[in-house]
Amino acid sequence: MSLMEKYPKEVKQILAKYPPEFKRSAVMPLLYLAQRGEGYVTKSAMTEIARALDITETEVASIIGFYTLYHDKKEGRYRMQVCADLPCALRGADKFLAELCGNLGIRVGETTPDGTVTLESVACLAACDKAPMFQIQSPDGIEYHENMTIDRTMELVEALKRSGQEGR
Amino acid sequence: MADVTLTIDNKQVTVPAGTLVVDAAKRAGLDVPVFCYHPKLEPAGMCRMCLVEIGRPMLDRATGKPVLDEAGEAKIQFMPKLETACTNPVSEGMVVKTQLTSEKARAGQKGTVEFLLTSHPLDCPVCDKGGECALQDLTMAHGPGQSRFLFDEKQRLAKQLPLGELIWLDRERCIQCARCIRFQDDIAGESVLGFEERGRMMQIVSMSEPGFDSIFSGNTTDICPVGALTTSDFRFGARPWELNAAPSICAQCPVGCNLTFNTRREAKADGQIVIKRVMPRQNEQVNEIWMCDKGRFAYHYVESEKRLTRPLMRRDGKLAKVSWKAALDLAAEKLSEHKKNSVTLVSGRLSNEDLYNLNIFAGKTEAILYTDMGGGDLTSLVGVSDGTNIGDMGKGDAILVIASDLYNEAPIWWLRIKAAAERGATLIVAGGRAAKLDRFATFTIRYAYGDEIKTIEDLGGKSKIAEAFRKAENALIFYGSDGLGLAGSTSLAAACANLLKETNHIGRRNNGLVGVWPRVNDQGAWEMGFRPTADLAEALKGKAVYIVGADPAGDDPALAKALKSAKFVVVQDISMTATAELADVILPAQPHTERAGTFTSGERRVQRFYPVVPAFGESRPDFSITAQLARQMGIILEGSSLPIVFDFIAHSLPAFDGLNYDRLAEVTEQWPMVGRGDMYYGGTTYENKDGLGAHLSSAAQRGETFKLPAAKNVKPLRPKEGELLAVPVTQLYDLGNTVASAELLAQRIGAAAISLHPETAGKLGAADGETVKISWNGSQSEVRVRTDEGLAAGVALVPRSFGIALREPMTLTVKPAKKVK
Repeated sequence: MSLMEKYPKEVKQILAKYPPEFKRSAVMPLLYLAQRGEGYVTKSAMTEIARALDITETEVASIIGFYTLYHDKKEGRYRMQVCADLPCALRGADKFLAELCGNLGIRVGETTPDGTVTLESVACLAACDKAPMFQIQSPDGIEYHENMTIDRTMELVEALKRSGQEGR
Repeated sequence: MADVTLTIDNKQVTVPAGTLVVDAAKRAGLDVPVFCYHPKLEPAGMCRMCLVEIGRPMLDRATGKPVLDEAGEAKIQFMPKLETACTNPVSEGMVVKTQLTSEKARAGQKGTVEFLLTSHPLDCPVCDKGGECALQDLTMAHGPGQSRFLFDEKQRLAKQLPLGELIWLDRERCIQCARCIRFQDDIAGESVLGFEERGRMMQIVSMSEPGFDSIFSGNTTDICPVGALTTSDFRFGARPWELNAAPSICAQCPVGCNLTFNTRREAKADGQIVIKRVMPRQNEQVNEIWMCDKGRFAYHYVESEKRLTRPLMRRDGKLAKVSWKAALDLAAEKLSEHKKNSVTLVSGRLSNEDLYNLNIFAGKTEAILYTDMGGGDLTSLVGVSDGTNIGDMGKGDAILVIASDLYNEAPIWWLRIKAAAERGATLIVAGGRAAKLDRFATFTIRYAYGDEIKTIEDLGGKSKIAEAFRKAENALIFYGSDGLGLAGSTSLAAACANLLKETNHIGRRNNGLVGVWPRVNDQGAWEMGFRPTADLAEALKGKAVYIVGADPAGDDPALAKALKSAKFVVVQDISMTATAELADVILPAQPHTERAGTFTSGERRVQRFYPVVPAFGESRPDFSITAQLARQMGIILEGSSLPIVFDFIAHSLPAFDGLNYDRLAEVTEQWPMVGRGDMYYGGTTYENKDGLGAHLSSAAQRGETFKLPAAKNVKPLRPKEGELLAVPVTQLYDLGNTVASAELLAQRIGAAAISLHPETAGKLGAADGETVKISWNGSQSEVRVRTDEGLAAGVALVPRSFGIALREPMTLTVKPAKKVK
């Protein structure tokens, strides 16, 4: 289904915000919209956005490629983004991340085989005092999890797996 | 602009205001190393290689006057850090210290090279760029020799990634200068390259379909400062230092781009000298430092297996190899026998010298130019004048393009006219369909095919567009044959010539009429006196025919039929063609790569080309063959010295007056300076050392009095119910004899297809990509349908040189073909 068919009202609203000669600026909100359902921007959505804004697919792809919050591949249903910046690391975030990798059986940047969780290491999430911490990004929004331990995290992952299966 | 004086490395330099420090240094003979900066691109400041010390006169805040030191000299305040020479424009009194005088600048540049090499594979021994690589050269000149970075932290990226079938990317070699991306965005206007990721992970991507979908893609390999971008054609072909360079002119379209052919002797070719690649050669008035992919990749026809190597003669119905003497004797005998009943048919593939000899040879017998486009006599009268340079046109000037899809017909004109429009020139694009140039047009006029003359006449009337054209200081008209045959284009040329005359846009530089011809030297053929004929089939029937450089039988079955009924056919060409198959005598000629000569471009610039490789087999240059044939028939023509033939031309034609081979080989200094030892600056494009050529004068420029013919009003063809209006158009990559043999371009050429508006196609029950049966003028054919929203309803575009012989607009019926199950 095309973006226009899926979100007619939203697309119209976004396009209405920009004067015709600057319509390429609508690329950011449109990409955000396109990512809403699947968690990534499909090739056909890229083409559709490019056509709607009179830019090339390459230009759309390079914007997706530049911003770390846009994705062009199907990955986990949930993105577990662990902050491992210096202040967090001082509170054990780096060790937490390494152990989490071991428990999940994947490396940073990879997705669990069942497609539930993609593990990422990100920069400052503004919760240094509550490290180890991470945020879960999903189609439903963003959720913070602070002062985490491996056990509690694995419980959370199990819960996510279950809710993922129910959602299907 | 006012001039600014500054000091670079203790040297006083005066340059126009706005010049960048890097260019000012260049003009003073001082080289500041660069990677991302390119003189044809806007500065980006991405690579940090051009770090220099810049100081500016200290100003008194109260008075605004320079502060003086004890000696009465202006005090210079240097910035605490190094600055990039490529992003800073010069200012009065500026003092610049480059790496030649500043230890700080040297250290900065050394550090930059060290950084760039932290993630470079250093695979120079297997890299195509090795030997002409900016990174290699500048590392040797400015690099530290050793790296402090950890080898383990090098990026491992894709090394053999085809961006399309023409250009390959090596992501490890890329130094992220973005020259290729900026070229595509700003100069080619086709943003099909981009970066993804960032920092050290930044990589080039192309998402277009087909990959790297641009007809200018090859230029990115010239300006790439490393071996990241290479062409499929030259990849792993040879080392640059083994190559010889021969200057030439592109023979693919009327622009006349200056080229250099790189050759070498190689074992694979039994020790013969072969062409390894084609590179642009600078001519700022013609192609600047660019060329299109057709010119770069389609040259393989000169080494095609179809090349004729020996004269052939028909014996017992079959073509047999014979000696030159036997072939010439028979051809001369038969052409003499039918002297009063003979025709000479030539094409714009030939050089000026060939055509001059051929015209004298034809004498009073019929001499025909093989083309479906008219008006060359008018471009001789009101064509562009001496000194014309599209690159100089901008604000206050106007360019009108009518009935020509320049992107497909003459890509470099498209590129330069687009740039003129971006500089502020009024660009009027008039056509029967949407074209790529529309995007850059100030005004777009969409007429119904058949209304070309009316469109021009309206421009002589009262309207905003007419006003803009009339009031322009300088104006050029490019007219072509998009949707037109001989009658239509002849009439259109007359209408355009009259409009230019009425608006006083003739006889001065940057004013006049330009024909977008189908072949490289059509203009030259018109100058030499050749004219096309309305009914070629009739003209050939029952005659003794001497055909040089043309393939009428291959283009049109009706012409093949006419030739079959000819009394005697002599074909002189470089390759075996459908026409040659019908010949009684075949004389093998040399393409422009095997001989010297001159071509006249659509802008009426005469340019020399030089031999690139030795002659194939026993082939001879056309002007010599014609002279030898003439001698047998008692006509004396110069057959060995091209400069002498050219002198004859200069003495007999006023437009050529004062020109000679030496004059055409003259070079004046061009800016930017490219192709010298500093390939990191302009890229691997060649410096022009062998001639910029010269413009022919027009009758208007010479002040002659002449009368322009009125445009004949051809009644527009309007299709009836159930019919479509079929119009011939030109595609860049077609199945013509000079393109089809380039295997590399096979995918871009595609199959023959007619284009229809989706609605029109829908009514006929044909979807995009389906095969249909078309009938026109008693002929039938099966072709694919391509849908194109830029077309008017009821119009069918029929591409030329794709096996469908449509030479004039015509009505056509389309039926869905029976589906093969």
